[in-house]
Amino acid sequence: MKMKKVSSMLLVAAMALSLTACGGSGGGSTDEANATGEASNETASSDGAVNLTIWSPTDKEAVEAWWTEKLAQWNEEHPEIQVSREAIDRSDSYAYENKITTAVTSNDLPDIFYVDGPTVSYYAANNIIVPISDYFSEEDLSDFVDSTVAQCTYNGELYAISSTESSVALYYNKNYLTDCGVDVADIDSRTIDNPLTWSELAEIAQKCTTDSYVGTHIIMDHGEGLSYALEPMFISNGKDFISDDGAVAEGYINSKESVETAEYLANMIANGYANIDPIQDEFLNGACATMLGGSWDVSILEGSAEFDWGVTYYPVSDTTKKAVSPCGDWSAAVSKDCQNVDAAGEFLKWLTNTENTATYAAAIAKPATRNSSYQEEAMAEYQSGPRAMFVEQLQNTAVPRPRTPSYSVFSTKYAEAMTNIFSEAASSHSVDTAYIQSELDGVVAAFQEDYDMYYAN
Amino acid sequence: MSNPSKLSGRKRNERVAAYIFTIPAMFLLFAFLVVPILYTVRYSLFQYQIVRPDNILFVGLQNYQKLLSDENFWLALKNTVYFTVLVVPFQCVLALALAMLVSSKFRGVAIFRTMYFSPQLTSMVVISILWTVLYNSNPNTGLINSFLTSLGLEPINFLSNAKTAMNSIIFMSGWQGAGYQMMIFLAGLQGIPRDQYEAASVDGANKVQQFLYITLPGLKGTIKYVVMITMIQAMKLFTQPYVMTQGGPKNSTKTLVYYIYTQGFQQGNFGYACAVAAVFFVIVVVMSLSMKKLIAETN
Repeated sequence: MKMKKVSSMLLVAAMALSLTACGGSGGGSTDEANATGEASNETASSDGAVNLTIWSPTDKEAVEAWWTEKLAQWNEEHPEIQVSREAIDRSDSYAYENKITTAVTSNDLPDIFYVDGPTVSYYAANNIIVPISDYFSEEDLSDFVDSTVAQCTYNGELYAISSTESSVALYYNKNYLTDCGVDVADIDSRTIDNPLTWSELAEIAQKCTTDSYVGTHIIMDHGEGLSYALEPMFISNGKDFISDDGAVAEGYINSKESVETAEYLANMIANGYANIDPIQDEFLNGACATMLGGSWDVSILEGSAEFDWGVTYYPVSDTTKKAVSPCGDWSAAVSKDCQNVDAAGEFLKWLTNTENTATYAAAIAKPATRNSSYQEEAMAEYQSGPRAMFVEQLQNTAVPRPRTPSYSVFSTKYAEAMTNIFSEAASSHSVDTAYIQSELDGVVAAFQEDYDMYYAN
Repeated sequence: MSNPSKLSGRKRNERVAAYIFTIPAMFLLFAFLVVPILYTVRYSLFQYQIVRPDNILFVGLQNYQKLLSDENFWLALKNTVYFTVLVVPFQCVLALALAMLVSSKFRGVAIFRTMYFSPQLTSMVVISILWTVLYNSNPNTGLINSFLTSLGLEPINFLSNAKTAMNSIIFMSGWQGAGYQMMIFLAGLQGIPRDQYEAASVDGANKVQQFLYITLPGLKGTIKYVVMITMIQAMKLFTQPYVMTQGGPKNSTKTLVYYIYTQGFQQGNFGYACAVAAVFFVIVVVMSLSMKKLIAETN
C-alpha cells in the first residue's frame, strides 16, 4: 500500500515535471537581481528626476559590488538623473541576447544596455541603438585604444562605449616544455616584433604531445570563441573574414590564404596536437602544454596553477610575419526606446571616465580601454608582467572583429564550418583541402544571403 | 420515480456549468496556443528580420518555396526522424525492462525505483553537460574513453564525429527518459491481476511465455500511450544538441526545433523560422492523428 502511494506520488511528480518542461522550453532564465533597487522603465519620476535603467550581464561578486557602489555614488551626486541596473543572467549562452531581441519586438528595451563588441554593427544597422558621438569628443576618444573605438563605430558614428578590452595570447606550461626539450628561455625572450611563428608553434605542439597531455589548445569554444580567438590567424596570413566595408565575404573567408589558415589549424587537430573538444580549463588542469588563452586567464592561473607558466605574443603566419591579436569586449549602448538620450550620454561619459574605467577594469580583471587609466592605482598590476604584455598587444596589434550587420550569421556559420573541418580532421587524421574550401564557401553563401536580403541597398 | 423533464433540465444545467468551467482553460489555450499558432502562420508569409518588426515585407509563399529547396531543412527533418525512430523503441524497451525489474518484491526495491527515476528529476541541461564530459574524446578527461583505453581499445570521438554524435545523444536521451516511462509501465504492470500469472504457472507456462502471453497483452494500452508520448517528445529534441554539439558535427545533430531556433533567434530570419515551425506543426499533428487512428483501429 505504502509502495503504491510512493509510486503515485512519483508519477505525479513526473507529470508535473514534464508539464513544466513543456512550458519552459523557450527563452532563457533571467536572474533579475537588482543592484540598486527596483528597475523601472519610467522616464521621469514625480519629483522631476529622469530615471535611467541599465541591463548588463550578471558578473562575479567584485563587479556586482562595483556597480552597487558606483550607482549609489552617481545617484547621490545627480539627484536629477537616477540610474538603476538590472543584472541579466547570460548562462554562457544566448539568454541575454534573446532577452534583448524579445525586448526589441515589444518596445521594452532599457535606456542603456550592454552589447558584445561585434554585435554593435548589427544593433546600429537595425536602429536598435542610437549614436552617442555627441557625448564623446575627439579628444576623449583619443584616450581609448583604437580597437575599441573601431569596434564601437558604425557608418562613421560612435554607437557604444566600453571600459574594458580583452586579448588572446599563447600561454605555456614551462615545466612541460622543459620536460619535452623545448627552449623555454627563447619563448620567454620573444617580443612583439619577434613573436613565435605558426611553424614554431606547430613544432612545440608536436614535441609536447605526450600520452598525458596534448601540445596545444586552439578551441576556446564551438561558438563565438572560434571567431574571436582565431580571426587574427586569418588576417596574419593575408586575408580577413570579410571586406573592410562589411559587405563582401567572397574572396575573403574562402580565399586561398584563408583555406591555408584553416588547413594549418585542422592539421593541429588531425595530428593530435590539440583536442577537438577540450575540457574547460584544460591548460590549468595540466591537460595541454600550451594554449591560445584570454587575458582573463592571467588571474585564474595566478590563483590556481600548480606549475610554472608564461605567456607570449599571439603567433604570426610564417609567410607575412604580420602581428595581429584578438580584442573586443562588452560595451554600453543607448537604446532606441530611451527618452532621455542626453541624460544617458552624460551618464555614460561619467561611467567611462578615467577613474571609473580603471576601477571597473580592475574589478572585472580585464585590460582597460583608456590609456590614461593605466596611471591609476587600481591598474598598478598592468605595469609589468603578463598583464602588461596584453596591454602592449592591445595598443599595437589588436584588430576588431568584422563590423557588419550580418555578423551573427557570419559568426554562427563560420563556427559551424570550423567545427566541421576540425571534426573531419579528427576522424580521418588527415586534412582535406577541398572539404575546407567547400565549408568556407558555405560560410560565404550564408553571409551573402543575409546581407543581401536585409542590408544591401 | 424520476421526473423526465426535471432530469433533462438538470442535465442542461450541468452542461452549461461544464462549459462555464472550461472557459478559463479555453481562454488560456486560446491565448497561449491558438493565437501563437495563427501568428506563426501569418509571419511565415513575411520576410521578417526579428529585430525589425517595423520593416516586414509580405512575400507570400516564398518562405515555403525556399524551404523545399533548403537542404538544411531536409537534413534537420531526417535527423529528427532518425532520432525518433531509434530513441522510441530503445527508450520504451529499456523502460519496460526496468519496470519489470523493479516490479519484483525484494528488499530495497524502492531505492532502485528512485535511482532509475532520478535522471527525470534532473535538468536536461545539467545531464547534457555531464554526458558531454563523460563522452569527451580524450581518455585523460572522458570517463568512457578512459574505460575503453584501459581495455586496450581505441578512444572514440563520441560527439565530434558525425557518425557517432547522434547515436551518442540517442543513448543518453534514452537513459534520461526511461525512468518516466518506467513509472507508467510499473503502474500498468500493477494493473495486471496476479491470478493470471498463478494460473499460467499452474498450467506450466515459463517466465518467457508468461511475459509474451500475459504481460505484453496486459500492457497493450500502456504501451500505446507510452510510445505516443515518447514519439511526440522525441520530435521536439532541442536541449541535447543545443548544449552538447550545437547541431554539429557536419550538421549530424541538427534537429528541426534546433533549426527553428537558430534561424529565428541566432540569425534573425523570423519569417523563415515561422515557415519551418508551421511545417513542423503540421508534421507533428499528422503524426499524432495517425497514431491516434492506429490505436483506435487496433482497439
